[in-house]
Amino acid sequence: MADLRDQTLGFRLRREWPAYIYLIPTTVVLLFLNAYPVAYTVYISMTDFGTGGRGSLLHYQYIGLGNYYRAILGSGGPTTLTLLENSLFWAAGSVALFLIVGLGLATVMNQELRGRAVYRTLILLPWAMPAFITILVWSNMWQYDYGIINELLATIGVRPIDWLGHASTAWTALFVTNLWLSFPFYTVVFLATMQAIPKDLYEAASIDGAGSFSRFRRITLPYLAPTIVFVGLMGFLFTFNNFYPIYLITSGGPGISTQIFITESYNKAFGSVGATPELSTAAVYSVIDFVIIVAITVVVIWRTDLTRNWLK
Amino acid sequence: MRRRRGRKWVRLAKRIASHAVLIVAVLFALFPVYFIAITSFSKIPIASITAQVLIPKMSQLTLASYHAALYGQYPTFGMLLENSLIFAGSAAAIGMALAAFTGFALSKFNFPGRRSFVYFILIISLFPSFLLIIPYYFMFAKLGLIDSYPGLIIPYSAGAVVFSGILVKNYMDSIPDDIEEAALVDGLGRTGAFFRVLLPLCYPVLGLAAFLAFVGPYTDYALAHVFITSSGKETLALNLYSIATTDTGASNYGVVTAFAIVMSLPIVVFYIAFQRYIIGGLTLGAVRG
Repeated sequence: MADLRDQTLGFRLRREWPAYIYLIPTTVVLLFLNAYPVAYTVYISMTDFGTGGRGSLLHYQYIGLGNYYRAILGSGGPTTLTLLENSLFWAAGSVALFLIVGLGLATVMNQELRGRAVYRTLILLPWAMPAFITILVWSNMWQYDYGIINELLATIGVRPIDWLGHASTAWTALFVTNLWLSFPFYTVVFLATMQAIPKDLYEAASIDGAGSFSRFRRITLPYLAPTIVFVGLMGFLFTFNNFYPIYLITSGGPGISTQIFITESYNKAFGSVGATPELSTAAVYSVIDFVIIVAITVVVIWRTDLTRNWLK
Repeated sequence: MRRRRGRKWVRLAKRIASHAVLIVAVLFALFPVYFIAITSFSKIPIASITAQVLIPKMSQLTLASYHAALYGQYPTFGMLLENSLIFAGSAAAIGMALAAFTGFALSKFNFPGRRSFVYFILIISLFPSFLLIIPYYFMFAKLGLIDSYPGLIIPYSAGAVVFSGILVKNYMDSIPDDIEEAALVDGLGRTGAFFRVLLPLCYPVLGLAAFLAFVGPYTDYALAHVFITSSGKETLALNLYSIATTDTGASNYGVVTAFAIVMSLPIVVFYIAFQRYIIGGLTLGAVRG
């Protein structure tokens, strides 16, 4: 009976109403600083803001879905396709690297090894430095003329490489930098998860004659799966919109070969000093970016039970 | 007998290989840090950096770059730091308060619409923060808040609110309801129980929420670059960008790296001191670091 009464809306409202008071500040902030700006971006994406050719930012008008048509099917199509490919390549490639290196190192560290704690501390040290600062340093390290990476390669007789001058080497520079930024976190997270696996499982499997590979596949991986999905999704969402590595190291170059939605959008809006900012185009890329991210998130959450803990 | 000796060799080889892999990982992790540190102590023009800079002679080491980074330019490091602390400190305080209220409501109340609210804040927080800058610019221009302290503090405060709110909620979930009920029996209202009993128990997670809300603005370039137009409000991050990317700065790379080290130091110390706690928090309790 009591359970039934608990379920009725009126009873719950009477008992739980203070929650709404506590949520007012956050709701106001989110409406003003997230919901409204997102709606505003959608609106801007349907105007000729910055592309109307009137020379003044204050004169723009609603033009419907014309910008989307141009960006997807019209003259902007090839650029948008490149941005989409680059964004997905950047996010998926980075996450694949994080997972492979993180799992590999965690497996190596998850055995009885002298100095394991020292390795852990040393690997985590660079992760503690603010990314914006270390990315600035990395962008300098990749320079053709005076970058320390080319100088190091010179000591073993390798001729200087114009890292940021070609698409393939520019991607290499981005992926190496991004791996450096993130692999400590992934390694430590996977190591912590592995250490939480009950030891008797492995002992029982050994007695049953399971080799180390089959123990990894049958015990470690199933235990790790939820963590892999969780940090994998988080890593993908974060990297898809990770602005600084690309903005500071390649600026999307050479050409737009490493440009992703978020950096191109920022450039269109604020990139060129003096020129009229192409805000409607920037807004179109913002909206496309958002739609992709939401679609991926919804599918992953729907196929797994990631949010279970948050709604409990 | 022979078989056992064979296994011993395999074990030894495995151990050597493991150490080799980890040493490579550590070298990769530490190389840029070492490079920054060593460059900051050697007075060397950027154009003449060679691999030799990595093995410095004692006589070449100097603190001149630190002196130049701290006092050698205008606005001085102290003025920049003050601005950064005003922006990031205010954002941290407001962000922490918002996270505390949100976490409390989501954790200790079973109000109608709770599930929809969580989905709403999750979806809305997926919109990339860097792309909010575009609509922000127009909203804040209309309000006359460009190049003002509130103009940056307001958007900064919201930066981590969804993430921190869920962080605090998870932490409060682990506090037994009995504690709150005991406070109610003792005559405190629900609000009193929240402020006097629950909040003090949450100091660790609130500290983490404040720290996360601090680091973002402290190292923000993208928003400040658009919003700040007068040099009187310039921040550490803006200044680091300009000395790292202009020719005058690059000509003495020691100054750039010394500046970077002094600026990162407080963050690094905090991260290392609370690393297990931060890693647990960053995975929203999915992993205990």
